[in-house]
Amino acid sequence: MAAGPYNYSYIFKYIIIGDMGVGKSCLLHQFTEKKFMADCPHTIGVEFGTRIIEVSGQKIKLQIWDTAGQERFRAVTRSYYRGAAGALMVYDITRRSTYNHLSSWLTDARNLTNPNTVIFLIGNKCDLEAQRDVTYEEAKQFADENGLLFLEASAKTGENVEEAFLDTARKIYQNIQDGSLDLNAAESGVQHKPSSPRGTQLSNDQPTNKEGCAC
Amino acid sequence: MSDTPAPSQSQSNPLARKLNKILESRLDNDKEMLDALEALSQFFGENSLRSRRNLRGDIEHRSLTINEEFAVAFKEVKEQLDGIHEDVRAMSECCQDMTSRLKVAKEQTHDLINQTTKLQAESQLLQMKSEVADAFLSKFQLQPAEMKVLRGGHNTNMTEDFFSALERAKSIHNDVKVLLRTNQQTAGLEIMESMALHLETAYERLYRWTQAECRLLTGDSLEVSPLLCQAMSALQDRPVLFRYSLDEYGTARRTAVVRGFIDALTRGGASGTPRPIEMHSHDPLRYVGDMLAWLHQATASEKEYLQAVLKMVPEDCVEEPMAEVLGHITEGVCRPFKVRVEHVLVAEPGPVILYKLANLLNFYHHTIGSILQGSSSLLATTEDMHQLSKKLFMNSLNCHASKLMEKVELPPADLGPTAALNQTMALLREILSSYDSSVVPLDARRTDFTEVLSCVVDPLLQMCAMSASQLNPADMATYMVNCLYMMKTTLSLFEFTDQRLEMLSAQVDAHLDTLVNEQASFTLSHVGLAHMYSVVQQHQPREGPLSAVHGLDRNSIKTAMKQFDAFLASPDDLVLPQCKFLLSATLRDVVDKRSMDVIRQVYEQLYTAVTDPANKYEDPNELVQRTPQQIKQLLS
Repeated sequence: MAAGPYNYSYIFKYIIIGDMGVGKSCLLHQFTEKKFMADCPHTIGVEFGTRIIEVSGQKIKLQIWDTAGQERFRAVTRSYYRGAAGALMVYDITRRSTYNHLSSWLTDARNLTNPNTVIFLIGNKCDLEAQRDVTYEEAKQFADENGLLFLEASAKTGENVEEAFLDTARKIYQNIQDGSLDLNAAESGVQHKPSSPRGTQLSNDQPTNKEGCAC
Repeated sequence: MSDTPAPSQSQSNPLARKLNKILESRLDNDKEMLDALEALSQFFGENSLRSRRNLRGDIEHRSLTINEEFAVAFKEVKEQLDGIHEDVRAMSECCQDMTSRLKVAKEQTHDLINQTTKLQAESQLLQMKSEVADAFLSKFQLQPAEMKVLRGGHNTNMTEDFFSALERAKSIHNDVKVLLRTNQQTAGLEIMESMALHLETAYERLYRWTQAECRLLTGDSLEVSPLLCQAMSALQDRPVLFRYSLDEYGTARRTAVVRGFIDALTRGGASGTPRPIEMHSHDPLRYVGDMLAWLHQATASEKEYLQAVLKMVPEDCVEEPMAEVLGHITEGVCRPFKVRVEHVLVAEPGPVILYKLANLLNFYHHTIGSILQGSSSLLATTEDMHQLSKKLFMNSLNCHASKLMEKVELPPADLGPTAALNQTMALLREILSSYDSSVVPLDARRTDFTEVLSCVVDPLLQMCAMSASQLNPADMATYMVNCLYMMKTTLSLFEFTDQRLEMLSAQVDAHLDTLVNEQASFTLSHVGLAHMYSVVQQHQPREGPLSAVHGLDRNSIKTAMKQFDAFLASPDDLVLPQCKFLLSATLRDVVDKRSMDVIRQVYEQLYTAVTDPANKYEDPNELVQRTPQQIKQLLS
């Protein structure tokens, strides 16, 4: 009973961004269902999925918001960056244009999330080696210059999909551990189960005078 | 004889046989002989004659002595055996005695044994009864510890034990019904009553605990303890208490959501990013969009929490209360949300923004609608706001349209569309293209488009008609064609405008016809053929030959043909200035071609009339030198 499916210490909020058709929804589906969705329809607005993972012995629930890549939804999806603890920025290694747009996605992510948000760059469709249009080295360099985590993955084969999601969680967890992520702050994108003993050692400098205020 | 030994002789000769026997016998093999010799050697000391003579006597003497010794020894044995015999007899006597004594004893204990057996059986029975009683108690009574856990104290904590005790009390209460069917009704009733009492107390306590627990769940994040899940599941048996607990939970979460919303609006992230939503209140779309996105995410999270709390409750009982509680939780944010959106809408952000806001609200109404039930007030609020923004949008469009009608501009000198028309078209374009960025279902889109179009296009058409009313036919036609063409090109970019486009095309065609007629008659009257043509058309054969009619005499025709030739040399000279103002080159060409067609047909009729012998022209081919065929080639 104690290991019930809803027993977790943290909720991390993720957002997946990137151009249309790079496979954001497929990555999410692969991660949550461990299946490849062959003919995935275009996302309308936003969709979301959850999965519980374990990092350093802690159960963590990931709440993942999958945004539409189409330009016309940009106004809608922009509102979902708020409070994301992790942002997965996806491009398609077989389409250079999706890689070229990364800087604009990155600007959005930096402007609309908090400074501690972990941004993870994913080069999707790495199973299509023959059609590769962006080299690993180039993307790696881009990631390094901008302080991003980076992996090439394939939503189709599932390669590196788990790793990308888990590495992000690990990084966020590490930020919590070394105190650089303030859990009590609203919009940190991380919610903590208060009764867990670990909670006390985390920074607690923000007064939490939370009286219900109905205006 | 021994020299001639023959086997047959030696056999037959007894001496030889004896000898052979002696010779063959081996003394060392004959054990008896050896023993005898050895015995002899013990007393036969010296081999003398005397001793040899006395040998027999000695031997007999010895034998006698030995027998005597044997007799003495055997006598001893016999005496001993006699002794043994005596003993055995004594033992037998003793045994007999014991047997008889045992028999007596057996007879005496027989009763006792019987009694013992009886007692033993009785004891077994009693033991069994005691076991049954124990089993009964353990089946139909709570342990003291369990009772204690169930009753609890005010400050005792809820534990797993409580739930197992509760479960037991419940099962006892159920099982006891069996007793009622047997002849143990009194016990059954008593047990039932006491269990009911225990259960009542226990549920009461559980409810108080759950209520208190729920009241604490006001944090941004939610700890859903397994105990709370169990409590919710256990409370299923008391629907009223279950609902009350859920209400308590809903109220707590409602407070938390409202607080979270206000925080997101006014405080934003810890270090300033993300900034509070209200920082964007100058940008209506962003402002409202952010609020709606926040609400969407909060709603999804709340649903998850609620599912976590109710995970142990059977699914079919969950649906209805879950929808209700979620509705309750999200109800609190309705007011702050509504106030803000209304504020934005009332500030008159202009039709385009209003329209985009309406679409945004509509989109979120659908999105949040997939999480909440239709009856929830958050959905109702978004729908209200959607309707309000739509209404304000239509109002502002209507307002725009009525302004157009109030102040009708005169057509500009170039007969192009007026500034008002251009502006309105730009507005329409913006509105209709903003539809691309929304996710409204197709049907709703069609209705919307029809509404918007009738709201804009109809007044525009009226306005054009009014401003064109003062003009001469050619100017009017040109102006109208230009305006209509402009609307048509704008609308043709969008879906669901087919009907409108058809109507506009028909109107364009009508005005083009006017323009073609104007152009043809202008050209014909300029070259002097107009009058002739009307005369020819009105002429009846019984009125005599055409050549006799005034104005159609040979000279007049000759002059007209000369002028017509000049026109044929440079047809562009006689184009109406209005035609040049047509915005569309295609339409200009159409007018050109069709007016030339009309001219050709007129010429053809004149040609036929002149060359008709009945009209009695002399030398008609010299009079009209060009055949209609040639004209057609020249004018095309």
